[in-house]
Amino acid sequence: MKTDPALLERQELDQVAEAALCAARVLMEAGVRAKVVHEDCARIARGLGAEHVDLRSGYASLDITVTRGMSTITRMVEVGPLGVNYRLSHGIRALAQRIGDDGMTPTQALSEMTRLKQQTGRHAPWVVALAVAIACAAFGRLLGMDWAAFIPVAASAAIGQSVRHSLLRRGANVFVVAACVAFLASSLAELGARWAGSTTLDLAMIASVLLLVPGVPALDAQYDILDGHPTLGSARTVVVGMTLIFIATGVLIARAVLAVPQ
Amino acid sequence: MTVDLLHLLHQALFGGLAASGFGILFNFSWPDLRWCAASGALALATRTLGQEAGWSLEAASFAAAAAVGCAGQLLHARLGLGTNDLAVAGCIPMVPGLFAAEGILGLYALAAPHPDNPTATALTAMEFTLRVVFTIGAIGTGLSIATHILPNRDRRSASVGAGRPGRAVSPGSRRVRAT
Repeated sequence: MKTDPALLERQELDQVAEAALCAARVLMEAGVRAKVVHEDCARIARGLGAEHVDLRSGYASLDITVTRGMSTITRMVEVGPLGVNYRLSHGIRALAQRIGDDGMTPTQALSEMTRLKQQTGRHAPWVVALAVAIACAAFGRLLGMDWAAFIPVAASAAIGQSVRHSLLRRGANVFVVAACVAFLASSLAELGARWAGSTTLDLAMIASVLLLVPGVPALDAQYDILDGHPTLGSARTVVVGMTLIFIATGVLIARAVLAVPQ
Repeated sequence: MTVDLLHLLHQALFGGLAASGFGILFNFSWPDLRWCAASGALALATRTLGQEAGWSLEAASFAAAAAVGCAGQLLHARLGLGTNDLAVAGCIPMVPGLFAAEGILGLYALAAPHPDNPTATALTAMEFTLRVVFTIGAIGTGLSIATHILPNRDRRSASVGAGRPGRAVSPGSRRVRAT
């Protein structure tokens, strides 16, 4: 029995689309801006044998159309929660360059991506909490916070990051997590800084929640709009705005509970 | 212009600390963290110099982001694919989180049943909100200008929507607009 060559072509093209879309999804979820996602996705698809590539990137889904000869395949994939993971994105981008330069089969590319996703390490949660603590306290100093509030802010930011990590692992809503962590961290920072004799209580409260401010998505949103992806950029902007509102709500509740003058 | 060297060092040091701390949160590898720190220190040093020269926060942030973006592009051969990401990490300590929080809290205060001095509160909230928008805009623009003007080898042969050079695109292909 002979297999139809056109069917084989379509099956292979389908794998090309799947591999390119898989890379695009990982890059989006790792916090990469749309232009880079499009470039690397196209590089992978062409390296795997596609002649023409079109990608549409939305906030929660990606669509790709790849063409070779007379065959065209369109596929769509959902994108998970967007975070920031530069080590993984660098790994995928290096793979895209390798595929673009040397070529690879779609199956090899998919297995390489799976390996990267599984083997790319993350810093231990306690290391991240410690780093966030130092970052928030340093941020506080940049804002003019006094030295007395330095340790309380660092401690409350570390606790806030640990709670955030734990809640997000359980699948809690990111906005609700932002409000809860903002309330917890700013309350602890205010109490700690007051106990330490700080005179910059307001700054301490704000500095302790700066870990929640979506700086990378805010810059990605602007990049996306500048690079000609206004839909995705606008969606990112809305998410950034909503996150800021939830953070401010958490701080506001903390101020009300602790009777901090408005 | 007189430069307070101690203040400049303070800002650069804590800018570097903040950038490398957030670098760990963003999962940069350990070797890349020194570049995050350098990027943050350069950004804050440039912004501080600008502010001491009498520039507004927005103008100083723009200059700082452009400086970090240019430095990243110039070091591209050494830094590889992460050039833009390191520049972004360096600019994170300049994101005006304080203004954002104060702006939204001001708007909340305005929505209270009997706000104290609503005109002044509205003006303050508006000022903070505008400064957030303009500062983030300045940082993004500074970074983008460096990325778009200076050559970047990442961009070679990777545009979406175009066929391979020298090959005809199939007449049956369906173009989907990238949005």
